[in-house]
Amino acid sequence: MSGLVARGLVVGRGGFRAGPFDLALAPSALVAVIGPNGSGKTSLLKTLAGLLAPLAGMVEVPGTPAYLPPPGSIAAEFSVLHLVALGRAAKRGWSPRLVAEDREAARIALAQAGIATLADAVFSRLSSGQQQLVLIARLIVQEAPVCLLDEPTAMLDPAQTARIDRLVETLAASGRIVVVSTHRLDFAARCGFVVTVGDPPRVGTPAEILRPDTLAGLYGGAATSCPACGQVSVVNSDA
Amino acid sequence: MKRALLALALIAAPFAVILVALGHGPLAVPAGDLLRALAGGGTAEAELALSLRLPRIVTALLVGGGVAGAGAAFQIIFRNPLVAPDLLGVSAGAGFGAAAAIVAGLGMLVVQGAAFAGGLAAAGLALLCARLARGGDPRLSLVLCGIVTGALASALLALMLFIAEPYAQLPALTYWLLGSFSRATAGELWIAAAPIASGLALLLALGFRLDLLALGDEQARSLGLNAPAFRRAAIAGATLSTSAAVAISGVIGWIGLLAPHGARLIVGSRANLLLPASIWLGALFALIVDRLSLAFGPAEVPAGLLAAGVGAPLFLVLFVSTSRSGR
Repeated sequence: MSGLVARGLVVGRGGFRAGPFDLALAPSALVAVIGPNGSGKTSLLKTLAGLLAPLAGMVEVPGTPAYLPPPGSIAAEFSVLHLVALGRAAKRGWSPRLVAEDREAARIALAQAGIATLADAVFSRLSSGQQQLVLIARLIVQEAPVCLLDEPTAMLDPAQTARIDRLVETLAASGRIVVVSTHRLDFAARCGFVVTVGDPPRVGTPAEILRPDTLAGLYGGAATSCPACGQVSVVNSDA
Repeated sequence: MKRALLALALIAAPFAVILVALGHGPLAVPAGDLLRALAGGGTAEAELALSLRLPRIVTALLVGGGVAGAGAAFQIIFRNPLVAPDLLGVSAGAGFGAAAAIVAGLGMLVVQGAAFAGGLAAAGLALLCARLARGGDPRLSLVLCGIVTGALASALLALMLFIAEPYAQLPALTYWLLGSFSRATAGELWIAAAPIASGLALLLALGFRLDLLALGDEQARSLGLNAPAFRRAAIAGATLSTSAAVAISGVIGWIGLLAPHGARLIVGSRANLLLPASIWLGALFALIVDRLSLAFGPAEVPAGLLAAGVGAPLFLVLFVSTSRSGR
């Protein structure tokens, strides 16, 4: 697996643009993309995934990148096992059917995600947190070198959020490049790099980016850092 | 267990209906004689019954299976259970093609060829329009363009009805539009058999890729599938099969909508099971409709009329029972 490179990458559509972004990510990189609603985080992820054409600049991604929309976006009446096994579609060439090996890989991934018991459940009837775990299990069997996760823990409870955080870190630890858009600054602080989708965009380590002045500029509020733990949070300037 | 028994009964049912259909009528033949005749050595009565009734039965099987398979594929890739196989205006296009040939005074073989061409032309026009309207959800563009070409073809069909000579052509045209399985002779069956078989073969060959298309373009592409190309292939297969079915039998609705719904209840949503099950149920439903069309006295009731008459209430029953059980 080689790295992900973007040079002068401008993203967006329908008159809206964000960038330019310059990224160079090596395997096992875990990257948080932060920025206000509507700033272009999803456009950046979809452009890196090859789902949107870049407006300017270039992007080079190894293999087929996997894009995961926010929880609750995918509707499927399939069993969980089948949906996860579909992650191995690209390995089947022209054959019209998946094989036992694919279902076995899906079972192993479901066990890794801690949801082995859900194998026969219908995907659309699960909670959005369970659905998200299923889709991450699919990322595991898919073996995509680049995983782009769009707010993977949006609207989920704290326990599910913690499980998904751990799995996302495991994905990166297994050699994948993992890019996660998020509004959670505590998760961003655990990543290797943070990308801000603002004007201008910035890329750096959490220590460089997650500072009161940067965040105040990015979100347009006042930011403070907790004297005890050092965690930065943004407070509304109108308050 | 209950479901396995139901599946077994449904698998066996077409064979029973075929035996009944072959043996009953003005020339009654016992089942044993028919089986011997099918194996190559029966009585003269059995041979005659086969030659008279087999083309009609094969037509029903082909048309029912063809439109049901196409309907299942369309419902999967458009992620919409209300989608019928003539979504892209195929039925109206084929109707216009046939009407134009009847009004021009051409023979039955040409009428069927013109219907086939008309169906393909309508679907092709819908695809072309959807291609011009880039941006947005490609599935929605296709549905809208299908409505437009369907309306255009319906207007042209109405024009044909308007200019048709009222004593011979208009009844012939009306009867064609009502649908029937009794048109094709054994020699003409290939017109429908080849395109229906190849259309269904293409759909079956796509296999689990239809499931990927059902997840939407973004997910399909994220899983390494060239979604637009595979969607075009699926539409081509379904359209080929539907056009040929309409060409040989006229407009017989409901089977393509109903059979996939029934099949989904039994085997679930996976394309690799849903497609064959839909084809099987569609063929069975068409056989039953064809039998019923002969059951009401000496005059044959048009199959298209019966398909809707039986299909609509059956659909309602399926719909109510599934929404109650929350499936």
